[in-house]
Amino acid sequence: MFIDTLLIGISSGAIYSLMALALVLVWRSTRVVNFAQSGQAVLSTYIGYEIGVSTHNYWISLPLAILAGAILGSLIDLLFMRLLIGRAKAGPIAEIAPVIATLGLLGLIQSLIGLIWGNAFLHYASPLSGKGFTFGSHTIPFSPQNLFIVVASAAVLAIFGAIFKYTDLGLALRAASFQPEIAQLAGVRVSRVRNIGWAFAGSAGAVAGAVITPTSTLSPNSLDLLFVSGFIAAVIGGLDSLVGAVIGGMVLGVGFSFILQYIGGSVTFLVGFIILMVVLLIRPRGIFGHKVSRRA
Amino acid sequence: MHSRRLSPRNRALLFLLIGVALLLASGFTGELRNYQGAQVAIYLIAISSIILLTGYSGQISLGHGAIMAIGGYGAALSFTLWNFPFEIALLFGVLVGTLGGFVLGVAAARLSGPYLAGTTLALAVGLPSIADQFHVLGGEQGLNFDIGDPPHWLVRLEGSDFTQYKWFFWISTVVALIALWAITNLLHSSYGRNWRAGRNNAVAAGLAGINVARGKVLAFTVSSALASLAGALFALLLGLVTPTAFPLSLSFAIVTGAVLAGVGNLAGSIVGGVVLVAIPEISGALTTHFGDSQKVSANLPGFVMSALLILVVLFMPNGLRIRRFKSKKTL
Repeated sequence: MFIDTLLIGISSGAIYSLMALALVLVWRSTRVVNFAQSGQAVLSTYIGYEIGVSTHNYWISLPLAILAGAILGSLIDLLFMRLLIGRAKAGPIAEIAPVIATLGLLGLIQSLIGLIWGNAFLHYASPLSGKGFTFGSHTIPFSPQNLFIVVASAAVLAIFGAIFKYTDLGLALRAASFQPEIAQLAGVRVSRVRNIGWAFAGSAGAVAGAVITPTSTLSPNSLDLLFVSGFIAAVIGGLDSLVGAVIGGMVLGVGFSFILQYIGGSVTFLVGFIILMVVLLIRPRGIFGHKVSRRA
Repeated sequence: MHSRRLSPRNRALLFLLIGVALLLASGFTGELRNYQGAQVAIYLIAISSIILLTGYSGQISLGHGAIMAIGGYGAALSFTLWNFPFEIALLFGVLVGTLGGFVLGVAAARLSGPYLAGTTLALAVGLPSIADQFHVLGGEQGLNFDIGDPPHWLVRLEGSDFTQYKWFFWISTVVALIALWAITNLLHSSYGRNWRAGRNNAVAAGLAGINVARGKVLAFTVSSALASLAGALFALLLGLVTPTAFPLSLSFAIVTGAVLAGVGNLAGSIVGGVVLVAIPEISGALTTHFGDSQKVSANLPGFVMSALLILVVLFMPNGLRIRRFKSKKTL
């Protein structure tokens, strides 16, 4: 029972990590917490669903959904965030404008999905079985699809980790988030690099949506709670840190899984809130967040 | 921001006049309009709680729906459990919500921007589940808060057509006006000035001898008192409280209302309240016009609301205002 709970926790933790990673990528590039993330991810998943329905092939629809997520992220940055950041600068709205605007975007995307596909639950089928592995007479709740979730998430995290660590693009991404002006002076095209950050984030969210949805159903709001978990994970890890996002996601996934098993499902988010509160009261910028020096 | 300043006495008179006019007007409107009027009044209180918090103190909350839930549950609990009269039950709800807000505010004062937004968001998602854990809170069924018919003396005074919804409209309107009057006075006092000073430049305000952190806690507490008042009235209007009566979308809706109002503009909360109630109404009419489609009727209000929110943030960051005030430097 303990192992079962742990495995399920790792599977959902992987998804939380992806969501948290998407948030961290956008936060690092634009200093915006992107509340539209779950909308972007769910729209990419709908696109994947549509392709899956017409081609009858999950393995074709998955990469296309990821591509759609990347394009969507990039477009939102180009058409929307740049306009916003140029405008809402002064007054009481300035501090909350990004939050509000991305919340608006979330509502817009979700209602558009509703207008196109309706609000009924859809099934995005995957060829992998949703039934748990069987060992002898014991069937565990961990299914081939769960295994795929873990593998796919690990692959995405590894790819992003490698890009950040070993490529010029990764260096540019880090420089642009760390010191945009100096990066610009050093020849980094900061706005383009930021756009790539948004595209990466969009694709990470799309992976999360497209691999988790076959285990449940698809609706305009189906990824909302996942997003909240991802957000809690990202904040626990410190919004700045990619490693923090992954660790935060894993801790939260396993923690939630044990709460679900031993206390009951309805309190998970309350416990999440309490964990978040405790972490932030001890370390106001998350566990792996960087302390900022005080500026007048 | 305050281009026309009324003396406190004239301000009180103005609120009194508005109140009398609204109560008289309720005699000429139907049941539905009275119900919607009560909704506007409740949204107005909730929106002004966000305006006070964000516009004046510079904090953000995506979890005020949860604080509304605390107010609603507090009121309903004292009403059903201890048979408090409903006026006292409302006050009890506010008391509980204020205490909760104080605890949150102490934590919130240490957090900034996205961290605060995330924490309050988690609260909004997590808090309703408490109702399932304690039998006394009624679980999924929730708690009853049906205050029954209007009192006899009012019916005798106003005639037998004094319905329950008109009674709710009266309660909400009077409470909203008192609340708005109190906040206006508070914001014009040294507390309001200190909040704005802390928001505009925390370091300078600190050097000037203002305790910014304490101000933030106080602002969060006052804001929570207002939100829980709105929640208690909301429960009164519904006649009950349930865990699903205060969804995440409610928290988002009141923040939306505050942005439409202009987050630094208390008078705009009326605009915000009206828009929040009017959008579902208007999009309902539009849906019928374009043929009743389930897809459209379920999603058009959200679409219109989100589009309006984005347009306002981009093009009218000071809210929907007919007349442009000259932006005078606050402080």
